[in-house]
Order: sequence, then C-alpha cells, then structure tokens
Amino acid sequence: MSRAAPRPLAEVLRDEMVMRDRIAAVLGDGAKTIPEIAELLGAPVSEVTQWVMAMWRYGRLEERPKPKVDDYFQYELAKRHSP
Amino acid sequence: MDYDALIVGGGIAGMQSALTLGDMGYRVLLVEKEPSIGGRMILLSKVFPTLDCASCISTPKMATTAHHPNITVMTSADIDGIERDTDGSFIARVRKKSTFVDPTACIGCAECERECTVAIADRFNFDLIASRAIHIAFPQAVPKKAVIASDGISPCTYTCPGGVEAHGYVSLVRAGLYEEAFRLHMKDAPLPGSLSRLCYAPCEKQCTRALAEGKIEIRGAKRFMTDYYYDRHPVPEYGVPADRNGKRVAVVGSGPAGLTAAYFLARNGYAVTIFESAREAGGVLRDATPPYRLPRAVLERDLHNITALGVEIRTRTDVASVADLKAQGFDAVFIAPGTMKAKEIDIPGKDLGGVVDPLTFLKSAIDSKIDLAGKRVAVVGGGSVAVDSARMALRCGAREVDIYYRRSRKEMPAHETDVQAALDEGVKLHELRAPMRFVGEGGRLTAIALQETKLGAPDASKRAAPEPVAGSETEVAAEVVIVAVGLLPGADLFPGEMERRRDGTLVTNKETLATSLVGVYAARNAIIDPTMIIQSIALGKRAAFHMDRYLRGESEPASFDLRLPRVTHEEVLSRNAITTRAPEKMRMLDPLERARSNAEIEVALSEDAVRAETGRCLDCGICSQCHQCVETCPADAIHFDMRPELVSVRVRSTLLATGFQLFDARRKPLYGYGRHANVVTAMQMDRLLAPTRPYNAVLRPSDGKAPSNIAFVLCTGSRDCTVDSRLCSRVCCMYSIKQAQLLMGALPLAEVTIYFMDIRAFGKGYDEFFEQAKGMGVYFVKGRVAKIEETTDGDLLVSHEDISGGAGKTVAQHDLVVLSVGLTANPKAFSILKDANVEADAFNFVREVDEDLEPGRTTMEGVFVAGTAAGIRDIPDTIVHASAAALQVAAYLRTGEVNQ
Repeated sequence: MSRAAPRPLAEVLRDEMVMRDRIAAVLGDGAKTIPEIAELLGAPVSEVTQWVMAMWRYGRLEERPKPKVDDYFQYELAKRHSP
Repeated sequence: MDYDALIVGGGIAGMQSALTLGDMGYRVLLVEKEPSIGGRMILLSKVFPTLDCASCISTPKMATTAHHPNITVMTSADIDGIERDTDGSFIARVRKKSTFVDPTACIGCAECERECTVAIADRFNFDLIASRAIHIAFPQAVPKKAVIASDGISPCTYTCPGGVEAHGYVSLVRAGLYEEAFRLHMKDAPLPGSLSRLCYAPCEKQCTRALAEGKIEIRGAKRFMTDYYYDRHPVPEYGVPADRNGKRVAVVGSGPAGLTAAYFLARNGYAVTIFESAREAGGVLRDATPPYRLPRAVLERDLHNITALGVEIRTRTDVASVADLKAQGFDAVFIAPGTMKAKEIDIPGKDLGGVVDPLTFLKSAIDSKIDLAGKRVAVVGGGSVAVDSARMALRCGAREVDIYYRRSRKEMPAHETDVQAALDEGVKLHELRAPMRFVGEGGRLTAIALQETKLGAPDASKRAAPEPVAGSETEVAAEVVIVAVGLLPGADLFPGEMERRRDGTLVTNKETLATSLVGVYAARNAIIDPTMIIQSIALGKRAAFHMDRYLRGESEPASFDLRLPRVTHEEVLSRNAITTRAPEKMRMLDPLERARSNAEIEVALSEDAVRAETGRCLDCGICSQCHQCVETCPADAIHFDMRPELVSVRVRSTLLATGFQLFDARRKPLYGYGRHANVVTAMQMDRLLAPTRPYNAVLRPSDGKAPSNIAFVLCTGSRDCTVDSRLCSRVCCMYSIKQAQLLMGALPLAEVTIYFMDIRAFGKGYDEFFEQAKGMGVYFVKGRVAKIEETTDGDLLVSHEDISGGAGKTVAQHDLVVLSVGLTANPKAFSILKDANVEADAFNFVREVDEDLEPGRTTMEGVFVAGTAAGIRDIPDTIVHASAAALQVAAYLRTGEVNQ
C-alpha cells in the first residue's frame, strides 16, 4: 500500500458527495472492508475511510459483526439504501 | 438592569456558576458561542477516576441550566464587546449568529442532516469524520436544535442577477440529485433549458476556483441537470395551482421577462394571459437565437414550464391600450414587449436590395426562409447579433462570410468565445474597417466600399474611437450585407397612457418597475443579446414580486433583494487548501461538422464528468442553500431569510468562563500529527471511545482497522520549553490512564503502552487508578518520545529513550498513537472586555487577585473568572472553583445592594 501525501481534509470530505454512489455500486455485490473498497475504487484508503464512515454515520451503510480476531469490519448497504 | 450577572461561556464552569447564582435568586445571562452548552466535558467518554459516564453527569446539568427560571441561555452567540458604564454596571453587546433554523420550531429530528449535500469537518468530533452544513452539534446538545454553518452567500449565487442559487444546484448535481437540482432552479427561475445554452454565466466569472486551476463549469452542470430532467419529464410535473385567487394579470410580450413574470404570478395563484404580437411565443429566444445555440425542442419544453401553470399565451394578438386591458378585467399589467429595431447606417446605397437588417435576417434564417447558396455575405458590426448573423449566413449556404468591424477584435462587444467559434467555422474577421457606401447595380448590392480606420482616444463608450485613415478606400464584392451596428428601442407602445423619458421609453420605479399608471409595471430595457436573458428574467421576477404585493394590497415598502453579504474569495481560500484537479469543459462539435448545420453545437458533459466537475466546488459560503433541508424538515423550521441580531444588555457583573484551548499538536512536527493519519490527539481518542463515537467502533483513521497496539505520548505540549508551554497540564496523565483502561475494555486483545516522564496522580483515588491500569496490563515506559515516523502500511515507529527499562534509545512499532495534548490559556477572555483592567498571569490565564483567599476575583472590580479560564484544573476542581467564583459574584452583588 503506497502512502501519497494526504490531501486537505476539507477537500476529501467534500468528495464524499461524489464518491458515495460509487461506493454504493462497489457494495452492490456484497459487504466489503475499507481496504477492499479502496482497491476497487483505486482511491487512497484513508480517504475511503472518511467516506465510508460518513456514509455509516448517516445511515447509508451498516457494519457486519466482526470476530474479535479480525482486523477489519465489513460494510454493506443499509437496508433502505439497498437496490 | 437586565441581568445581575453575565456569564461568558457555557462549559461546565459557566453552567455551575450560573446554577449557583440562579439558585440564589440572581438573574443570569449565559452566553455561549457554540450551538450547545456543555463545553468539552459533554464530549468526553468517561471521567476519571470513577469512570462515570461524562454525558450522564453533564446532561442533567445542561438541562437544568437551560430550563432554570433565573437563567437565560443564548447559544450561537458571541460577545461583541463589554464596556463599563459610569454607574459601575456593564453594557454587553451580544451578537446572535444567524443559524437559519427557528429554534422554537426545530424538533431536533436530524432529518435535515441526512439530506444535506454539503460535507464539512465535524469539529465536535475533532475532524475525525464529516458532518453536514446543517447539523445538530452532537447528540446530547442542549438546546438540541439544528444550525446551518454559513460564511455568507457564495459568490456564484450572489452574483446571479436572476437570483438563481448556483451553488445550490451545483451541490445537488455533485450529490447526483439531478431532478432536485432542476426543481431548485425552477424555484428561482424558469427557462433553465435556454439559460443552460445561452447564459453568459456571470456565476462562473465569480467562481473562487477560477483563482486556482479554473472555474467550475456551472452552466455545464445546469445543462446536464436540465437535459436529464427533460429527458425523463417531457411535460412538467405540476399543473394549474389549486388555490387560484381570482385575480387576473395581463403580460404584454412573451420574451424571457414576460414569461418569467407570468410564471411567478401564476405560481402565486393569478390567472395570467400573455399577449404576443408575433406568430409564436418566445421573443428573443425564438426570433433572434439561432437553433444551433438553442434547439427549438428545448425552447418549447421551457415554454411548457410556464403554460403548465395555466398561463394563456395569445399569439398574433396586438394590444391596443392598457385601458383596453383594464376594461377586459385585468387587475394588473406587465409590459415587456422586448421590441427592438436595428439601427440604420446612413451611407449611400443603404436602400439597395441585399442590404438587410440583422433582426429580419435572423428571423428569416431561423425560419429557414433564406437561401444564400453561392453568395458572398458581408456583416457590418462587432456585437453578438453581428456574429450570430454571420454564423447563420454560413448555415444558409453562403459561399463566403466576412465581418467588417471598425475597431479591433478586443473591442468587439460579442463574447470572445463566440467570435472564435465563428472564425473556426470559416467566418473571416476584418478589423479596423468601416463601410463608406454600398455599391449597387440595377438596384441590387454588388460591393461595399470600405475605409481603413485607426484607433483614437476613448469615446463615450470608453472604447477607443475609430478614426478614418485618409486614402485607404477599397471595394469588396458582396451580394448581401447585414448591417448589425446596434439596436434601438422599438416602436412606442401605448402612447399617451404613461409617463415617458426623452428617448420614448417608459418611466419606471427602479425598485418596483411600476410605471406612472397604477397597477402597470414595465421592464425597463429589452434585451436582444440572447446571452443576456438572465437580465430579462431578473426584471420579470422583480416585477412579479412587486405586482403580487400590489395585488395583495400591501402598501409597506419592501425590497426585492434581501441577499446576505457574500463571502470573499480571500476568506474561502484562507480556509481551503486546494489540490489541482483538471477541469471538465463542455466541448463544441468540430467546426467543419457544425458550420453548415443547425444541429446544437455544444456537447453536454457526461454524468461522470459533471460529477467530477461539480466535485471541484469549494462550497464557498459553506451552506449551498440547496434547500434539501427545507424540503425535508417536518417542522418547517428552516428559514434562509434569518439574519444576525445584535442585542445590547445591561448587567451588574461579568463572569468569564471561557475555558481553555487544547495544545495544537502540529506544533510538535516530529510527532507527525496532521501528516500521519494514525497519530491522533487524546481528545480524538475520547471521541472514539464515547458512546456517541464517530465510527462504528474504535478504529484507526487511516484504514478502518481495529488497532491492536496503541501508544500514548504524555506531555505533548506540556512541560515543554521548546513550544513555550512550561506548565504541567494536570489532567493528561489521568485522562490517558482512563483511556488506556477503556481501550482494554473495548479492544480486549490490544496492547496499550504509555510513554511518560513521570505520572502525576495527585487527586483522591488517582494513584489507585494508576495502579489499577498497571494491574490491567497497561505498559508504562518512562522516557521522552523523540519522534514518530510512519511505515508504508500506516503503522508508526515511536523513537524514545527507555529510561526505566534501561534499554536506552529504542524504536517501538504501534498501529495507533495518541498524543496526550496539554491545556493552554484561551486568549478570548481578554478580547471581549474593551479597555478593561483584567490582567493575565505569567501563563496568560486570567489572573486572580489572590488564588488562595479570593478565588474567582480578577483585577477588575465586578469582573470574575471561573474554571480553566483562570488556570488548568480537572473537572472536580473546576466545579469547586466555579462555585467559589459564583459566590464571589453574589457577594459583590449583595454589597452593591446594601450600599444602595
């Protein structure tokens, strides 16, 4: 995983409005972790974290239960936002 | 006297002092700059050493404060200044910010937040996650009311003459809400199809992003959303309003101004009839706008937006007089005929066949009634009409088209992009050429005699005046010449009925557009350049606003323009670092492909392109006024006409409870805060641990991983001369130990290490709390951390000296590092008191005259201080200090009462 210089936070946050449909499309075929979503989008994982968390906060995504030994949660579309 | 005490700051100290004074019967005004009282304590997870829930302790106190009969709470309010009066009392000016939400109506349901299209950093979660432009500060907020973050009106929206909320629809398009974007536009102006093709887009000229890599293609966004909507809605979704008011309005002229006035009046329940002398409605849009710019299907669909409201358009109908309209039962009249006539050029040969005026030419060419095959066409003039005529001549089959202009290209009134497009299509431009006469044979034009010109001193138009060059006459062959040297107002309508200016135009009130005849309004100027139709729309909208007021019998003067101040580019750029992103632009068809066709020449942006392009928007004013919140709010609580309010109050005493500031961890650059995503501050960790946490669990910000090896770095910004912060912050050791214990509960498999200089566990139960952490397995490493570096997978290498373990210089790897930042003084305490004698101590906290014997008394009589504004202390000590300060206030007030 390469780590480019982070973009300004405000700019990353604004992009959620553009990226959320693309994230929803990626999750259309099942729950995924943030690094998996980032890889499919070709976007920096730290930025995807911001977008996914905002989508979770506002009820667009839900997390699936995670075994304690797993590092990452999987996220899926919330019921009311599922196709 | 309005209040006995003014308390500045609604944190735990301010609330405690307010409650103490309120319970004693004193009237208290508590002013808090944030939308909620509660300060920082309400944002904590738990408190040490009891691990009691911070919310469970804070919220009852917050509610009691807000509902106390002797306490008035003003949130979202700043102290503009406090001055001492001659009688010893204080006059405080309180600026109540405009939140755009009526707190008496808002029910705190947060539905607005879910629909908002502007993402901003959530400062109540210390930037860990996005919030929204409209938001409730945090779930336990008191009052639990939404507020809208706004720095003013965005420049694009502010500058639109028609009041179209450009930032709003850009924001909606960015969010993929295309139909909502269209509906927002329809709230502000009809004819979005025409505007999206024609408008000169003053909004784009004001776009802050133009100061970076290029302006946002705002018109392109409008084009996309309009096409998207029209494709899916061949007819409007609405019909004739159900609540008609029984009044009738006549509109004379069906150009953009008349159509707009009719649209807004019809929406308000008026029965509107438009009288149009031409064969079809549309005015300049139909008669002077080439179809390659505005396809007729788009124009027809735009017109449908108006007729769907029940507006009747009577074409081929001349109106004899206003009196006649009134006799027909119309209650008010709007005159917007838009009639113009072409200015003639008074030179020999002007009456030859083949010499035509541009309006006649354009209308005939648009109606496909002209065939110029094989002909040489000359166009005289340099405005938009001249350029459009030239391009239409090409499309009518002309062999050659030449524009002759008496000034140079840069003085041409036509838009440069249009001039270039014409040249690309094959039109030739001849600068500094003026016609002397038209030459003919058998009554028909055969050539034009031209004279060279040179530019002289500026004339009345402030452009360089063309001066003839003697002996430079030439003659060029031409079968048709279009004389497009300017336009004049058209024939007088309704002579003798209303007051007129010398040039024959109607006298109208600048604000209301009312003529000298009661109930009759008029657009001042007709506009023939189709790129300027937003100006006509603005006039129609203004007229409709004032006609509605007249027809409802409202006599009080009212302004149509109630815009808030605009935010400046400098303000926007100061809060926005910008990463360069390539703009997306609408492209035009290939010149050779388009030059001989009437097909639309501009190609709309794709959906991906328009999302990317609108994604470059900087949200200049923060709130975009996309109105999604207004549409969603079940309580009708959101009002964009709300304005800030300045309140002046007289108080007998002032108590400063302005709290502390957290040390800015960026001042320790070797620790990497702000550069390494997984270096967070302790306040951020408290948010991650709180029940109202920003994420679904304790996760690291770089990739959402549940951390398994967490480090705390104590004394970040405390006891550190390198950052001029010598004080021990007194709370960092204990809050770090608290967080370590909570982390071990939240992440049972995680290792937690605390790097410390020495642990200061001085309060009741603090040392036991420290021992408890050690017993739970928290590692304590005595040693100062030198630097923190990041690995490629986001882990962190902490370089430190292990003093107690004897390992010397060591590098340890962690996947999350928490900087236990210190507390510093808040300079706000000193700025609110004008010319006051309130002194600071050596560490810039408010100095108490005697910390031991007179806690809370400052160096100025009648001014007191409570809590961490006077020095760093933990929560229990803050509450004790705030109570003591309140008693000092009470003693001061009582002394005054006794003396009186």
